Parts: sequence; C-alpha cells; structure tokens
Amino acid sequence: MSSKPQSLASIGPMRAFAANSKKVTTELIEINEGLIGFNQYLAEYYKQLSDAWNVAQKKVNLKAPEIPRDVEQIEAFKRIWIDIFDNDFTELFDSKKFGENYGKLVSKELELTKHWNNIANVVLQSVNLPSKEEIDEVYKAVHSLKKRVGKLERELKKKDMKRDA
Amino acid sequence: MHSEPTIDPKIIEEIIKFSKNVIDAPKLVSAPDEINLEVTPHDTVQELDKTRLLHYRSLTEKQHKTPLLISYALINRYHILDIHPEKSWVRNLLQQGFDVYMLDWGTPTSMDKYLDFDDYVNGYLDSAVEYVKNESSAEKISLQGYCTGGTIATAYVALHPQNVKNYVATAPVIDGWRDTTVISNLAKHMDVDKMVDTIGNMPPEFMYYCFSVLKPFEQGIEKYVKFFKNIDNKKFVDSFLRVEKWLGDTPPIPGELFRQWIKDIYQDNLLIQNKMYVGREHIDLKKIDMPMFTQIAVGDHLVSPECSMPLHYAVGSEDKTLRMYPTGHVGMIASSLSQKMVLPELGRWLAARS
Repeated sequence: MSSKPQSLASIGPMRAFAANSKKVTTELIEINEGLIGFNQYLAEYYKQLSDAWNVAQKKVNLKAPEIPRDVEQIEAFKRIWIDIFDNDFTELFDSKKFGENYGKLVSKELELTKHWNNIANVVLQSVNLPSKEEIDEVYKAVHSLKKRVGKLERELKKKDMKRDA
Repeated sequence: MHSEPTIDPKIIEEIIKFSKNVIDAPKLVSAPDEINLEVTPHDTVQELDKTRLLHYRSLTEKQHKTPLLISYALINRYHILDIHPEKSWVRNLLQQGFDVYMLDWGTPTSMDKYLDFDDYVNGYLDSAVEYVKNESSAEKISLQGYCTGGTIATAYVALHPQNVKNYVATAPVIDGWRDTTVISNLAKHMDVDKMVDTIGNMPPEFMYYCFSVLKPFEQGIEKYVKFFKNIDNKKFVDSFLRVEKWLGDTPPIPGELFRQWIKDIYQDNLLIQNKMYVGREHIDLKKIDMPMFTQIAVGDHLVSPECSMPLHYAVGSEDKTLRMYPTGHVGMIASSLSQKMVLPELGRWLAARS
C-alpha cells in the first residue's frame, strides 16, 4: 500500500524501482541493525589486538629495560621486539577466542554484503537487467553443461582408443 | 651529578641513510609489473577453460623416460616454481634430464564459481595427465603436487592410481585437524557456506589477510626495513621483488571448490579419515600404492608438518620416502637450499624410478 503513491507518480523504466523502494528501505534498516552487530565484533577484534600489543610491549620492557645507545644495541632491541611481538600475536591468531570472533566478524560483514546485493537486485530489476540469482542460474547451467560435455568427450576418446587398439 | 645519556653518532648516520634509501627507492626499483621473471622457455600445449598445460623445453639431450607433471597450488601463481633462473625448481629438474609439464589453473572469474573438486581432479588434472601420457607415449607419468595442489593431486592418485608411476607430495594440505597454522584456525571458524553463497569465489583480499597474520612483524615490518637497507644491492632487490610480485598476484578460488576444501579438509577433516568424496567417488588413501616421496619443511608456517606428514603413513605404498628440510614453505621450492639439497634428492629418487 505504502508504495502505491510512488508507483502512480512514476512512469517508464524507473516505475519498478519506485514500486520496490519499500524493499530498499527495509534493506537499509536491516543494514543499520547489522552494523551494530558488526561493530561489536570489530571492537572486540581491535581490543584483542590492543591487549596483545600491551602484553607484548610489557614483555619487551622486561627483557630490554635499557634504552639502546648504539647501532648494535638497536639491532638487538629490534630482534627482541620482533620475536616477542610475532610470538604473542601468533598465539593470539591461533587462539579459539580470536578465531571465533574473527569468524563472526566476517559473517556479519557477509550479511551486510547480502543486503547490499539485495538492493543491487532491486535496482537491476527496475532497469530490466537480470538479478544476481538469475545470472547464477545461467552460470550453474553452463557449468553443468560443460561438465556433461567434458565427460562425454572423455568417454568418446576412451572408446576411440579401444577401437584403435 | 649524573651524566647526560649519549647517542652514538652512527645511529643518526643510519637514520639519515635509511631515510635517503626510502626516498631513492622509487628511482632505483622497478614496479612489480615491470619485473621480467626470466621464466624457463615453455609452450602452452593444452588449454581447457581457463587452465593451461605448460610443457617446458628440454635442456638436455637425453631425458628420463617418465615425464613429470606438476600440480601447482591454488594460491598465487605457478611461477614461484620458476621464480629465478638460479632458484628455479623447473629449470633444475630439466637440467637433471626430466621432461617437465606444469598445470596453470588460470584466473577463475565469477562465471567459474560452480567449479568444484570434481572439476579440478577428474576434469582439469585428469585431462592434463591424459595429454602428457599421449604426448610422451608413457603408460604412466610422475605427478608432483605442491601445497593445495598436493591435496588435488592426492585425490587424483587415489582415484586414478593406474595413471601415476611415482607421486611426489610437496607440503600437501592433508590433515586439517593437526594443522597448527593460523590459517587453519581461521578456516575452522569460518562460515564458508555464507561466504560462498554471498560472494561466490573466495576473493584474493581474504588470502592477503591470511598472509598478513603470518609472522606479522617479521613479514610486515622487518622484511621492508631490510629491503630499504639493501636498496643498493641489486641481487637482493631483484630477488625481493620477484617474491613480492608473486605474493601480490593471488587469483580468486572458485566458490564450490573453496567450500569443499574448507569443510572437508579443515573443518571435518575427511580426507585423512578416508571419508572424502570427489564428485560421487570415494577417496581411499590406501589405494595410493605407487612409490611416493613426501617433502616437508620443518619451518612451514602455511602448511604445518603435522598437516602434511600423515599422508606418508596413510597410503598403501610400500616404496615410500619421507624427507624433512630445515626451511619454510617457499624456501623448500625456491631457494638455494632447494637447489642444493631438496632437488638433487628428488632427482635421484625420481631417476631411480623413471
């Protein structure tokens, strides 16, 4: 009902888009909701990185408390810093808590992408272009046909080889 | 009274020199796309969809009877095996008298998102094997699989053992549950269905992220500090840029193939348990009964030794060799160590069976 006045007011190829503007609005609202969840996981992601940094820096301070005074000392300090930071960060990236949060973060990002795809589909259909799903159907059909042709060709080849032998 | 801390003037000198090198770098160094990799001469002998079968031109008068086909990884490009004339895996094997073929998987596009394990194993790899057999008049060939190419090659030799005389598994991805790398941790927690259903192919950006969390400070900072420090060293810069060019050239991975790879290898670990299916065919590792040579790098932080090693114990082969090298994932195939140690050993092993 709510899209009716817009539909009446619009003519030509953009009519469908006007009629579907409600869908776009719904997607935008859901994107906003999704962004809240995404930001939670993103904040946790940076918190984990920041915590790992602080712990690693403390370890470096304990191991190399003196300020390096010459080139050799700087090199030694750099080596300690890199080794400790690489170890601590690898431990973090290897941990279950990092893996789980990163997985959820990417998952939320994909949900946002999905909403964006849905909006793109509304736009595509409004200008009489195939949607992502329709293109995917074509890709799937082409893939399936290629597979069948490939198998038939291989079988034919084998038969030819048997006959020649 | 305490003395003021003194700073070694050499430090200031180093900082000034380093800053000058950073400023001069664009004048001294070519852009990655300008680098000529001086690849070993080869011919494209077969093209199937986006894949290409490359045949390297012989460098010796006499050749071993059994040709070698290399199934390269799905990540980045095959030319890491031919990165520099002095460090080239392919060139070394040619010099040892082997007839070498390489399967280049090409660059999948959105249209290829439905390509799966079956297409790669029973389609592209099988076609390449058949071509090499026909071309060389050999009944069986030697097959080498590197990294994820090793996973595909392992599935192939289990399904088509009659075509393979010798199998060389170089850092293959086999036992996902035992893998101790950061990549396996990310893969285990990934909602791969959502990823493939939403974006289709696995985008290169995801792979770049995975690279960035591997030794982030050594690889993200120290590597570039060394580069700027050595900007006047032509050999160092050349070698650095060749590897950088390779690292920055990551094709997407077809969605369906990626889905099965993550689920069957990392999440459910089906391959090593003999529970994996490719197409409708069951993969039984015991059916791998030809001579097998497994190469593992002790310092591999992309495919940990614990992930590759179980293959050696799972196959049915009686003639099998497991070798471990004191290097990393790339060091095993493109370094002076690979030229001096890894390749001569592989050559001797293959020659005795070719």
